[in-house]
Amino acid sequence: MKNTTRLLDIVNRSLSGPLVEEDAFNRQVTQGIRRVVKEYQIQIHSEHIINQDDKLADRTWQAAIDFLATCGVYNQSTGRVILHSQKEILGALSSAPDQVWLGSGTDAVLERCRTVEDALVPLNMGSPIGMAIPEELFIPIMQSYIQEPLVDVACPGSLMTVQGQEIRVGSPLEILAAWEEVDLMRIALVRAGRPGMAWTGLVLSMSDAGQLSAVNPLGLKSSDMHTFGIISEQKANFEILNKLTQSIRMGGIVDPYANPIYGGFGGGIEGQAVLITAAMIALSVVFMATCCGSSPTHPFHFNDTGKEVMQATSLAFQALARNSHLLTNLTITPVGGPGTKTLLYETAAFGIMSTVSGISRILGPRAATGAFPAHCSGLEARFSGKILHAASKLDRMRAEELVQRAYACYEGQLDKKPHGLPFQEVYDLNTIQPLSEWQRLYDETIEEMIGWGLPID
Amino acid sequence: MNGKFTILEQAIRSGDISGGIAEASRLAESGELVFSIFHEGIEPCLKDIGDKFGRLEVFLPELIEAADVVKAVQESLKSYLKAGEVAQTQKGRIVLCTIQGDIHDIGKNIVKAMLEVNGFEVQDLGVNVSPMDAIQAAKNFNADIIAISSLMLTSLPYVKDAIEMVKQNEGYRSRFKILVGGGPVSRDWAEKAQADGYGDDAIEAVTQATHLIAN
Repeated sequence: MKNTTRLLDIVNRSLSGPLVEEDAFNRQVTQGIRRVVKEYQIQIHSEHIINQDDKLADRTWQAAIDFLATCGVYNQSTGRVILHSQKEILGALSSAPDQVWLGSGTDAVLERCRTVEDALVPLNMGSPIGMAIPEELFIPIMQSYIQEPLVDVACPGSLMTVQGQEIRVGSPLEILAAWEEVDLMRIALVRAGRPGMAWTGLVLSMSDAGQLSAVNPLGLKSSDMHTFGIISEQKANFEILNKLTQSIRMGGIVDPYANPIYGGFGGGIEGQAVLITAAMIALSVVFMATCCGSSPTHPFHFNDTGKEVMQATSLAFQALARNSHLLTNLTITPVGGPGTKTLLYETAAFGIMSTVSGISRILGPRAATGAFPAHCSGLEARFSGKILHAASKLDRMRAEELVQRAYACYEGQLDKKPHGLPFQEVYDLNTIQPLSEWQRLYDETIEEMIGWGLPID
Repeated sequence: MNGKFTILEQAIRSGDISGGIAEASRLAESGELVFSIFHEGIEPCLKDIGDKFGRLEVFLPELIEAADVVKAVQESLKSYLKAGEVAQTQKGRIVLCTIQGDIHDIGKNIVKAMLEVNGFEVQDLGVNVSPMDAIQAAKNFNADIIAISSLMLTSLPYVKDAIEMVKQNEGYRSRFKILVGGGPVSRDWAEKAQADGYGDDAIEAVTQATHLIAN
């Protein structure tokens, strides 16, 4: 079915599916995950960060399909569950795109599905991904990313003010801010010499009104990605579906994300792996995603570079890569910020893990978990680009050694959360180039990793 | 942990509501004071579960299931309370919400579960709650603390509104403390906004709530 027909089908299922109270649905998620983890014998090998067991990945896939068919996706607006049978799920997945052009003109890039240990290099969405950014720094910050040759597509930070006023969701300020983000991104793209580069944004727009205002031929175009998040775990509402509807009518690239919380309703590592897998499948089946994204989150550190979250993530994305042709992406969310080696070590570990596990695109790094305004810079996106190229030459065993090595360098910092420095203290605001100290740390870390045997060019 | 409460403790840890009720009733029938059942049996068990969740040795479902058992036990033991006797030490009453414009709830749910297992009575107001509704609910619930979660930058102005509404009203200021947390909410932001407390995560939320009640 083409997307509009499928959309109507989803709306109908939202209006006719079983009625359930939200608390009861949350319990169903927990019970469903527990059941399939047991039935499909999902048990990770704790000594590895990167999954090395193909049969386990395949069972994780089967568990996720079973879980999704049983549990469905909850529509908060109607209090009903959107259910699909296993046959319908597999049918929808078979018609999902396996490649898509992002952007236009000479800046267009092709995102393609990848397999485990694929030699194809994933795309690099080197960007601050919704981090709070002061208005006056938006253009220099985004220019610092977009100008990097190893960055393929972008996702800006979120404006803190619009024309000096604090942005308030549900108010005219949100609409103005959405448009201002479009206007400023256009300038940054042109200044960096990449006017046709695809981007996604409007992360600041919680409400559909804010998003819908700027998703049109004058704003985020059909060649750009249109993003929105679904609610943890496995939930949607009509505001989210409204955003999707606009994108479908625009013929846009639907680029949603789901961020399961480790230790939440899915429980531990194994449950988290199944939940991530199911969430990505749901993005494709229920939300007609062109690309399916995630940043699985630690409940206390709010990062995804901890061992347990990486174990779950690796298993999930291998399950997806081995059993589907979905376009998938992950956001690097480290605790470290600019001006720290922690940020680079975390980026290396997560980037290597993600690449060998078969993702199509990497986003970020969303430095310092995105919690500190303007704690971001293009240099870490350059770094992640180099990591993706190097990791594409690795098999899982070799990647495992390198990830363990990088992890050992930052494990002790996860509780300390070294958030580093803001953009204006690591970059020259006139030249939009890294200052010498941040460049020195970058160069040192690159050399160190070459010494480990990471094949960085 | 006191040996005589082992079976009850096991029921709490395994989420066995009927088993918990049965054992609690048996203890009460055998002459155990309700206060002792809570103070020596249930509360240390819940504290241990909360601490384990803080180390991620158990997870949110176990936390919620344990709290569910305790709520059921509490209800079932009401008839055993002697005149003037209180069932358990209540640390304080908290209304909890995700602020206006924001519909993320899982962080709030984690905080709620942690507060409950640590002895607070919590009323969950849900998501997208206006500052005025939060304050009204606090009045109705006779709350000590209004705990607000925000995961969206663009919802922070509404958190500030809530703080301002409380601070500028003498009646509210003397009754309610405001505790804030969530992704874009930093310690720095909370201080500047004049919140009474800030929790970086669910664990700190409990510490802060305890501190606010004590002071």
